[in-house]
Parts: sequence; C-alpha cells; structure tokens
Amino acid sequence: MAKSESWFVEELERRGVSRRDFLGFCGVMASIMAMPREAGARIARALQTEEKPSLIWLEFQDCAGNTETFLRAARPTTADIVLDILSVDYHETIMAAAGHRAEEARAGVVEGKRGEYIAVVEGSIPTGANGAYCTIGGRSALQIAQEVCGDAAATLAIGTCAAFGGLPAAAPNPTGALSVGDAVPGLRNLINLSACPANAENVAAVVVYYMTFGRWPPVDRYRRPLFAYGKPIHDNCERRAHYDAGQYVENWGDEGHRRGYCLYKMGCKGPVTFQNCPKIGWNEGTSWPVGCGHPCIGCAEPDFWDKMTPFYAHLSGVPGFGVHATADKVGLWATAGVAAAYAIGGFVQYGRRLKTEAATARAEAAAARAEATTTEAEGAADQEKGGQS
Amino acid sequence: MTRVVIDPITRIEGHLRIETEVDGGVVRDAWSSSTMFRGIETILKGRDPRDAWAFTQRICGVCTTVHAITSIRAVENAIGARPPANARLLRNLIMASQMVQDHVVHFYHLHALDWVDIVSALSADPAATARLAQSISDWPLSSATYFAGVRERVQQFVDRGQLGPFANAYWGHSAYRLPPEANLLAVAHYLEALDWQRDFIRIHAVLGGKNPHLQSFLVGGMATPLDADKQGSLNMTSISMMRKLIREGRAFVEKVYIPDLLAVASFYKDWAGYGAGVGNYLAYGEYPEGDDSNAPLFLPRGVIRSRDLSNVEPMDPAKITEFVTHSWYEYEAGDSEGLHPAAGETRPNYTGPEPPYELLNTDEKYSWLKSPRYDGLSMEVGPLSRMLVAYGSGHSRVQELVNYALGQLGVGPEALFSTLGRVAARGIETLVLAEKMEDWLDELADNMGRGQLDIHDNSMWDPANWPAECSGAGFHEAPRGALGHWVHIVDGEIANYQCVVPSTWNAGPRDAAGQRGPYEEALVGTPVADAEQPIEILRTVHSFDPCMACGVH
Amino acid sequence: MSTVAPPAPAVKPKLVRVYVWDLPVRLTHWLLAISITVLAITGFYIGHPFLVAPDPAGQEFVMATVLAVHFFAAIVFSLSEIARIVWMFVGNRYARWQQLIPTSKSRWRQTWEWLKFYIFFRAETPRFVGHNPLAGLTYVLVYVTLIVMALTGYAMFAVSAGAGSPMRIFAGLLPLFGGVQTARWIHHVCMWLIVLFIIHHISCALLVARAAKNAAIESMFSGYRFVSPEDLAAEEAGSER
Ligand code: HEM
Ligand code: HEM
Ligand code: NFV
Ligand code: SF4
Ligand code: SF4
Ligand code: F3S
Ligand SMILES: [Mg+2]
Repeated sequence: MAKSESWFVEELERRGVSRRDFLGFCGVMASIMAMPREAGARIARALQTEEKPSLIWLEFQDCAGNTETFLRAARPTTADIVLDILSVDYHETIMAAAGHRAEEARAGVVEGKRGEYIAVVEGSIPTGANGAYCTIGGRSALQIAQEVCGDAAATLAIGTCAAFGGLPAAAPNPTGALSVGDAVPGLRNLINLSACPANAENVAAVVVYYMTFGRWPPVDRYRRPLFAYGKPIHDNCERRAHYDAGQYVENWGDEGHRRGYCLYKMGCKGPVTFQNCPKIGWNEGTSWPVGCGHPCIGCAEPDFWDKMTPFYAHLSGVPGFGVHATADKVGLWATAGVAAAYAIGGFVQYGRRLKTEAATARAEAAAARAEATTTEAEGAADQEKGGQS
Repeated sequence: MTRVVIDPITRIEGHLRIETEVDGGVVRDAWSSSTMFRGIETILKGRDPRDAWAFTQRICGVCTTVHAITSIRAVENAIGARPPANARLLRNLIMASQMVQDHVVHFYHLHALDWVDIVSALSADPAATARLAQSISDWPLSSATYFAGVRERVQQFVDRGQLGPFANAYWGHSAYRLPPEANLLAVAHYLEALDWQRDFIRIHAVLGGKNPHLQSFLVGGMATPLDADKQGSLNMTSISMMRKLIREGRAFVEKVYIPDLLAVASFYKDWAGYGAGVGNYLAYGEYPEGDDSNAPLFLPRGVIRSRDLSNVEPMDPAKITEFVTHSWYEYEAGDSEGLHPAAGETRPNYTGPEPPYELLNTDEKYSWLKSPRYDGLSMEVGPLSRMLVAYGSGHSRVQELVNYALGQLGVGPEALFSTLGRVAARGIETLVLAEKMEDWLDELADNMGRGQLDIHDNSMWDPANWPAECSGAGFHEAPRGALGHWVHIVDGEIANYQCVVPSTWNAGPRDAAGQRGPYEEALVGTPVADAEQPIEILRTVHSFDPCMACGVH
Repeated sequence: MSTVAPPAPAVKPKLVRVYVWDLPVRLTHWLLAISITVLAITGFYIGHPFLVAPDPAGQEFVMATVLAVHFFAAIVFSLSEIARIVWMFVGNRYARWQQLIPTSKSRWRQTWEWLKFYIFFRAETPRFVGHNPLAGLTYVLVYVTLIVMALTGYAMFAVSAGAGSPMRIFAGLLPLFGGVQTARWIHHVCMWLIVLFIIHHISCALLVARAAKNAAIESMFSGYRFVSPEDLAAEEAGSER
C-alpha cells in the first residue's frame, strides 16, 4: 500500500489538493451514490491502485454527446480519469493514433486483457444492410461490439442510444438500430447509463463505484444504477410546490414562467422520467433543463423519441389520427360523436315508436270494441309509468 | 502507387475513412468516405415540427445546438413565427459560446497532436519553457515550477507504462518540428484547456439547462424567462455569472490560444503551401444584429470563387444542390441529378462491399456523405470561408486580426489558402467572437433593466394557426461552416426534412461531373514522408475539423 | 326460427314483477357509478389542470387535493369492483358471471338480436330478464377496462410511493404496460372508453326503459323489474324465450 499511496498523495499535493480535500471528494462521490460516509475511505483506497484498468470506448451510431459529457467530468476531472484512474486505451475522439494503428491498440487490449478490461459503448448498433450502416476499419459495428463487449469484464452502455436504441432506433428505425443489450445478448455485467447524453456526474460516479467495489451498483429493471435513476424527476423537482398548488406556466414567457411555475401544462415529462437531474444538476450543478425553464423531454427513458413526443403535449397521439391528435383530443371528439349519434338515434327511434303506438292504439281500440279485457292492475300501472318516463 | 488507407481517422467526431494514392512521397489522389448512417431526416417525417430541433440537435453532440437553432429557424421561416429581440440575443450568446468552445477544443484536443510531440516534451527544460511562455504571453501560469510540475506529471504517467490514448501514435516522426520546450508548453495548455472548456461551457448550462444538448429552444423564441429580480428566471445572478465566464474565456483565448497558435505556426510555415483545396468559399453569415429577415449579420454572408477575395458574391440559396452519384443513396430521377434540398430525398441504397472489407470501390458509390454543390461547384465552408468572406467584405476587426497574424508569421495573404490558413482562421474567428460576446450580454441585461422581457412569439405556437401547407429554410454558421435545414410542413406535420451540413460540403465525395470534394482536393499534393505513418494526411484532414455525425446524419 | 323477430303483440302482455338486482349488486353499482364519475372528473383535471391557484405556492394545494380525491375515489372504486366480482360467484342468478359471458348457443343468438336493436335495425326489444345478453357481453369489456384502469392507476401511483410502501409492488406492472408514459396513455384511453360506455349505458337505459316498459331504471334502485311470464319461464328453463 505504502508505495502506491505515496505517489498518489504526492501527485495530489503537487496539484494543490490536500489529502483532506481528496477524502472530501470521495465523500461527495459516496453521497452521490447514496452510500454510507465510511465508503469514502474505501473509494480513496481503490483510486490509488497502481495498475489502471483498461478501458475501450466504442462509438457506433452516436453523436459523440456522451464523449463531450466525459470531457465535462469535474469530480474527478477528465484529466484525472485519463491520466491517473483508467487507462483509456481506445477512444476514437481523443486518441492520438489513427487508422490501423488505432485498431491494433484495441486488438491488443482485447487479446492481452481478456475478461479484465471495461468496454464503454456510445451509440446504437445497426443491423440493417448487413452492418454497412456503421463500419470502422472496414468491420461492422456489430462485429466489433461482439468481439469487444463479449470479452469485457463489464460493459457500460452510455447514453440512451447505446442503452435503449435512442434516436437511430426512433420510428421508423431506418437502419435496424439496436441497443447494446439487444445487439449482443447475454453480456455479463451490462450497465445502462441512459440520458441524452448521460450526465458527467453519473458517469464519474459509476466509474468510481466500479473501481471501488469491483462490481456495478444495484440497478433498476432497465439495468440503470438506482443511485441515479431511482426516482422520478418530478419527485425532486424544485417546481413541485407549484405543481401541487396548481400553478402552471400557461404561455412561454408569461408571469408564471418568470416566477418558476410548474411546466406540466407545457408537456413536462418529469413525472414519468427517472433521473437525478434536479438533485445534482448539470455542468457542475449549474442548472438543469427544467431549472432553466423548458420541460423535461424524458431523455433517460426507453423509446422516449416515440413515447414522449410530441414533446409539448401531455400525451402522445393515437395511431392513425395524426401527430397533434392526442389521446384526449381523440377521446373528446369520440365522446361528442357518440353522444350525438345517440341523440339522433333516440329521435329516430322515438318517431318510429310514435307510429307503432298509433297503430297499436288503433288495433287496441278495435279489439276493445270487440271484447272487454282485464289487465293486471299492477302491471298496467307500471307500464303506464314506464311509458311516461 | 500505394493505396494508403486511414480508417478510422481519429481525433474527429465520427466515422471517417480516407483512401489515397501515394506516389513519390506525395498524395496523387484521394477519396473521402463516411461510414455511418442513421437516417434522422427520415425519422423526422410525420412528426411535430416544434419537436424537430431536439431531434436534429442530436445529429451532433460536439457542435451541439447548431442543428437545433437551424431547425428552429427553418420552422419559424415556414410558419411565419417572429422571435423577439431577447431570443435573438440569447441565441447569439449560445451560438458564439459554442463556436469559441468548439474551436479551442479542436485546436488543443483534436488537432494539436498532429503538430505537438508529447514524448519530446519530456526532455524540455522547464526554465526555458517558462522563458518561452513569458515571451509570448503574460498568462500567469508560466513559472518554471509550473512547467516542471507538468513535465513530472507526464513523466509519471509515462513511467506507469500505460500510455492509454497516447499509445501507438507517430511520436518521433520527422514531421514533428517543435523544440521540446514548445512541446511542453503545448502539453501544459492541452491540460489547461481541458479544464477551461468545462468551465466556459457553463454559459450553456445557464442559458440551456445543460451541455451538451441544450434544452431551452422553442419555435418562436426561447424557453428561458427573463426577469432581473426573480429566482425562477434568468436574473442578475445569471448575467453576472455569464459575464465572469465570458471574460475568463476571452482571457484564455487572448493569452493562451492565440499566442500558442502563432508560436506553433511559426515552426510550420511550409504548411501554408499545402492543403489549399477547391479554392471556392461559401458562408451563410451569422449573428443577426436585428430582428427582421434582412437584418445585418455580424459575420457577413457571401461566396468567393477561385480565391478571388476582391469579389465577394451575394449568396443565392436557389443555387444549392446535392448529388448522390458516388453516395450510397438513390434518387427517384436518377443518380446523376442534383436535387435542391427543398425537394431533397434520402433513400439509402448500399452498394459497397459487405463488411469486413479491405477497400472500397471508389469508382462507384463510396460514401454515406452526399455531395453538395453551389452553382455546380465544390465549396469549402468553415472558419476560413467565413474569415475570407468577412475580409473580402471589409469587416474591420477581421481584417485587422488577419493582417496581424500574417505579419507575425511574415507571410502574404496567399498563405490563407492552405492547411495552415484554416488553422489560423479558426483562431482569429475565436478571438473575434470572444470579444463580441459581452456586447450581446450587455444588450440583454439592458433589455431586462428596461423591463423588456419578451422571449417568445406566442401567436404561432398553436399549429391551428399555421398554413395548411408551408415550407421554410434555416441557415446558420456552425463551427465547421455553413449549415442549412429545409422543412416542408403539411397539416402541421413534417412532410420532408433535409439537412445540408458543413462536413457534407467539405468531406463529400465526387459529384456527377467527377469533381472532387474539398477534403479530396486539399489532399492532392500533400507530402507523405512515410506511408506507414501518414501524419501529413491527418494534418490536412484535421484542419477542416471533420464531423461525420453531422456530415451524414 | 326466423331471424326477424315477430311484430309486437297487439295485446298488452301481462307482466310479472321479479327481484333481479340484489342489494350488493345495487350497492356496488352506485358506488362504482359515483366513484367513476369522481375519478373521471379529477382524472381529467390531473391531465389538464384548468384551475390555476394564485401565488404564493405552499398555501394552495389545488392539484394535491384533486390527486388525493382521485386516490380516495380510486380506493372506493377498487373495493366496489372487487366486491362486485366476488358477488359474481355468490349472488343470485342475475348477478352471476354467466350473465356476462354467453355460455349457451341461444344466448349468443339473443346477443345478435340485441345488436340489431341497438343499431336501430329492429324496433322491438328482444326479451330478457336479468342482463340483456349483448349488454352482458359489453360488461365483460367494461370490467376488463376497469381492471386495466386500476392497474395502470396503481402502477403510476407506485412510482412515487415511499420506499417502504406496499404499493410499490404495482411498479412491477410498468414493463407490462411499456413504461410510465405508456401507462398514462393507456389510463387516458381507457378513461375515454369508460366515458363512451357511460354515454351508451345511460342512453340505453333510457331507450330500453321506454321500449320495453319494464322499469329498467327504477330496477337499479328497487331491485325489481317487470318481465313477461313467458320470458321468465324461458329464462328459468334455461332456453330462449
Ligand atoms: C340511469 C341509471 C342507470 C341504470 C338504470 C343502470 C343500470 C345498470 C345495470 C342494470 C347494470 C348491470 C348490473 C350488474 O349486473 O352488475 C349496470 C352496470 C353498470 N353500470 Fe349502470 N346504470 C345506471 C347508471 C350508471 C351510471 C351513471 C354509471 C357510471 C357513471 C354506471 C356504471 C355502471 C357500470 C360501471 C356497470 C358495470 C359494473 C357492474 O355490473 O356492476 N351506471 N348498470
Ligand atoms: C383504481 C383506480 C385508479 C387509480 C389507482 C388511479 C390512479 C391515478 C394516478 C396515480 C394518476 C396520476 C398519474 C400521473 O401522475 O400522471 C391518475 C391520473 C389519472 N386518472 Fe386515475 N386512477 C384510477 C382510476 C381512474 C379511473 C377509473 C379514471 C377515469 C375514469 C381515471 C382517470 C385518470 C386520469 C384522466 C388521470 C390523468 C393522468 C395524467 O394525465 O397523468 N383514473 N390516476
Ligand atoms: N459539420 C458539422 Fe457540425 C459543426 N460545426 C454542424 O452543422 O459538427 Ni458536429
Ligand atoms: S444518447 Fe443522445 S447524446 Fe448520446 S449518442 Fe445518442 S443522441 Fe448522442
Ligand atoms: S416542472 Fe415537471 S418535474 Fe417539475 S413539478 Fe412540474 S411536472 Fe413535475
Ligand atoms: S430531459 Fe433529460 S436531462 Fe433530465 S430533466 Fe429530463 S431527464
Ligand atoms: Mg442531408
């Protein structure tokens, strides 16, 4: 321990970070991950191990938004992660090597550290056109994912595209895009860090968690860490008091909007979206989407491009009725239509009945003249009553 | 002839493959291919046009926001929404901070390692590095102790034996020409810039809730309410926070980026002779200074043909077409036609080799990029085009800075048409914008002070108020160049959507007439000392700042 | 037998008074009717809050109150629903599940006759004692819709239930519905189906009451309705009229 700790502590001190600050940082990490305070000490120990775990970062049908997120990491910083914590042996956007030498670096890790490295995948994996919708070095995304993720100690699907298919898989999914979990079934230790992109704080927290405990944190039914995706946005939202009060933004820029009222009526998907945005914020806690005045669009949820749209409506449309025909609009029209149909039908029926009754009355009159009848008193009375109601 | 293939081109966004013919140490011909397609234009069909910005923003997470703003503009143009002045100011601030941040990240984290040898930095003398640093700038982090610390940190990193992202590169290549001290200076600033960009982009978090992929855009305006006195709005705290971030950002550009750029360039002046490319430049112009459709633009629009700076033509969007002759798509009217984006089509039709493959058939279709043309010509877009159009149109600050840079390097204006020119133009543009941002912030604060708080044109929010059928176009200058979106709306739904993107202009393949795209043209004539380590090819390609997720979408 | 019913007898039939809706049926019916009305109104408000409270927040709880009412009504609704389903196996012959799901050929045929009546194809009401068989069949759909309503409702409720709350088990239903937003969508669509049912239900109650002159509406209060002795005999014999 002594040796490995000393370089680390020296390193920290040289960079103006005292041992206390560092332990403080570990405590913050622990609290993001909702772990007991003592866990901080364990994290600190784990971050000082000398052999850095290898990491292969694959980009497929992505926009590099999650790579940019990675560049925004502050606790620990990107430089700390790249230089001290992990060995980022393959990451197309930042690596110095290019072409076949880059591919060799990746192959070296896959062959040399089988079962030991971490795979990170950003972007979905297309299955259409025999893989030609995404190739790197002439090989398809699927071939690469099978090879790299198949032998990884763990796979981190970062961003909604990798975790759930995301934008490329939105209807009509032109390229047959799949999430990592669906494209390479049966992966051991798959963890999904959804959101579009994933939040840097959560990325860092997962990395630190893994480094500390050698396993992924507990996950929800979509394999997302509970510490980050355990509660709906709505439950931690700073506008929640306005929601409960019944105070809503009605028009963009209105008085309610300026006062920070709830964005529910503008289509906010906070009640149906799970992530810790309101708790930890974005970009070092500077703000978050709802905080700045725009509704949550549900970016951490599976299929949000189809299920949460139109973004400014409370509900999606009813298939076949057009994009602006939300379930409630169609429902209202259907109700009005059926009510009208019954009203009209009722009149028609009433008319027919009048005719029949007239005929019956004539027949009865004729019969009455011919023969006198007795009717059961009770029945007649009620019949009368029914006829009048 | 040797086929030199680089796939993947790294330190860019996305999936770019360059194939070249190298003969006698020089690139004789080149083919640019992007190898990833998602079909976002198709995915947009049938959707609510007010949602389109969120979809298109995800075309790229590096130049995040640019497709959002362009989409918003296209839809506003179609339905006739008129965003108020505050929305324009907020958007200008968002666009400019995106530009500044993206350019700095490109210079230090994507491009620098083509010119800077990290391994050589290890043998630098910290004291000499400090002298060098102090001679070019008064940036405070410039002591010998500071550089000794950086060197040691890198040394320790190397000593641990795991080079990570710096492994397998072309270190020690003869094309690296900086002295160890300059290399160490650059490495120190590589690390500083990593922290800088994270701080600076918090402007986006203030204005958009988060970065990447801001979430404050609206068709018709912006979603960030303004009120100097309210906690639920952008208020005085937000203004002062942004002012601080803008000033710190600008200081870094002035005192670190520009001096580094000039220092590095002075060792690579021969690169003013390579990588010129097609010599035609297109800029849509950006940063409206007023609210009607022909309001003046801070950076002008225009077209320059055959490097003729004395004649900046007006830009006519009707002259834009896209070809798919060498792209993996088909057009209904046949693949030799060029289509105007308002009537554009995106029908994938892969005809290339089945993966895994070794080589593409470059005589046939060979890329997912289309080939945009202006008046039938290949056009370069990007910082160089913008600076040339501004220079040619008499933009005084741009002229001043371009002349200053040329003077510092002791080269003439013809040096601009080159790989080095592209790198320099990007730096100059960054400074021009970093200087300008505070003006927009002042204007915004001023409006807030006067109680002018409008952020949105509510009249066109409800689709019931839209014409039954309408179409529109949106234009923007993204970091990598001229960006346009075209939208056709029928009954409140998107009927057709087309994006013609900077990296499509620059990286696109040949057209029906066999004309090369700008990357391809720029590579012809590039020297390659060692075909096994084609660092020179990377330099020219990187000078365009490729973004393939944008280019193909 | 001819497919077209014979014209109405020219003579007023003798009718007998029969006790069809026993107390639990009537009780659960009206509890359901009330709770569903409250749920639909509060539910619509939850989806489209049209009342806006004045500032400041923290002193007004409009949405919170509506939500609370919705949940209490949901409890009344669920308990009545369960009670009614239990009664399907315990209650009198007219309360039984066989009234809903046609088990005999003749009941299927009757269903067809009723369909013709409802689409105004046939002027006279076919005869029945307990449930009109077509209505019985639609009640199956109604029951399914109500159950889906409860399940989606509880699943949404579970999302924000406290960590120790037993309600959390309902969150397990969410993947079945395809996530919370889809559950919400289903909850709304089912609400409209129920609204449509109620329009149909009340219209038909009026229609049938007039046409059959059998005190159909009063029967839901008193339990008694009037039927012809032939119908009663046929029903008791287990065959058609
Ligand atoms: C006009 C007065 C009404 C009459 C005469 C009436 C009559 C009936 C009858 C005879 C049944 C079958 C009972 C059974 O087998 O359980 C029934 C079921 C039902 N009614 Fe009504 N109803 C009336 C109003 C309403 C209203 C206002 C609602 C709701 C808002 C409603 C909701 C229901 C439901 C949900 C069922 C099916 C559940 C069940 O069978 O208990 N009814 N109604
Ligand atoms: C056991 C029965 C029910 C339960 C437990 C239940 C529960 C809930 C819950 C928890 C919500 C809140 C949803 C959200 O946060 O978005 C909700 C909303 C709603 N409920 Fe129910 N509900 C039940 C029955 C009904 C019924 C019978 C109706 C209508 C006939 C109804 C109509 C609605 C509507 C329209 C909403 C608004 C949902 C939204 O816009 O989010 N509910 N219900
Ligand atoms: N090419 C490109 Fe972009 C930019 N700048 C956008 O339009 O990079 Ni991602
Ligand atoms: S999840 Fe979003 S940010 Fe990440 S790659 Fe996909 S589109 Fe980009
Ligand atoms: S703004 Fe959205 S998340 Fe916040 S309270 Fe309102 S509905 Fe919930
Ligand atoms: S849109 Fe995404 S970033 Fe958070 S607030 Fe909503 S989950
Ligand atoms: Mg396009």
